Amino acid sequence: MKENAELLKRELPGKKVPGKVRIRCRYKNLVDFAKVFGFTDQKYVGPEEDGVVACKAFANHFTIKALYKLLLGMKIEQDGKKRSFILNPGKLLHAGNKYNWKDCVDIKNGDTLKVTAEWGNVWLVEKNMILFAELLVTAKNQNGELVCKPTVTAAVRPGGY
Amino acid sequence: MVEIADIEIGQVIRDEFDDITRDLLKDYANASGDTNPIHTRDDIAIKSGLKGVIAHGLFSLGFITKLFEDFLDHENDGKLIEIDVDMVGMVRCGDTLVTEGKVTKIGGNMVYLDIVQRTITPIHIKDSNGNIIEQFEAGERGYISEKDRERNLVHEKEVDKGILTYRDRVATKGSAIIQLNN
Repeated sequence: MKENAELLKRELPGKKVPGKVRIRCRYKNLVDFAKVFGFTDQKYVGPEEDGVVACKAFANHFTIKALYKLLLGMKIEQDGKKRSFILNPGKLLHAGNKYNWKDCVDIKNGDTLKVTAEWGNVWLVEKNMILFAELLVTAKNQNGELVCKPTVTAAVRPGGY
Repeated sequence: MVEIADIEIGQVIRDEFDDITRDLLKDYANASGDTNPIHTRDDIAIKSGLKGVIAHGLFSLGFITKLFEDFLDHENDGKLIEIDVDMVGMVRCGDTLVTEGKVTKIGGNMVYLDIVQRTITPIHIKDSNGNIIEQFEAGERGYISEKDRERNLVHEKEVDKGILTYRDRVATKGSAIIQLNN
């Protein structure tokens, strides 16, 4: 187990996660999301013809897609064989989350987002053998403008890496 | 309108939400695409050793971003620049989610805050004879652990019906940065 952790600590930091996720931001999805959190302002839940923008929590939507599609699908090479980064998705926990919106534009109804990711720090807490890994996500709209930079901290319990 | 001149170190921005239900978690699951059944199906959550459904970690985080969007009049008075949190405790149906941002630093038009999000979990209400007259989900399903008691997270207070026993625990903690226009 420690050998696996050492491999991931050595191999992952700075490495791009292959692939990208495309998110179409439909009116209904933006409004449904805002309504969960009780927004009533027309900016978030107004009529479609007036145009709406996503509430900040909408970043959860593409962060989770990135986590599921990019991270769970990623393969690494160990002892000459390809293996999944996560050996058991049931051992994966979401330990921390950072959203940065500096120099970002709003997400609007009709936008198509492109979400990519690379690995940040990876470390092992030997006391409980939980492996922590940072996923640095970038989300841009169809014009190449940044809409959010999420950093996800994933915790993988023993048996999962 | 919120302006930088109105902000003071130590100022607290606060919100309370007490309507976390299974239906709301299903709505969130559908909207977010996070359809892991431990958030929506008790049978699966129980099989995973959780005793009942738990809220998505990012569901709670949404109430932190909303706190600042409301404070900034839906970003007419400024922008939310950054949120950085650790998720340290589970949030469940029946919990009251208390979200607080405390101003720690002001620099130019930037405001830096510490964030703490707590869950107030009702367990039961007893009458003056010590009989349980109302049992809440946390009491029925055994959400409260010995560790919670050892850590002094379980408290009592008088309410209209009797003595309420509840747990007060940190669910999320971290920091935020907002930028005001004026």
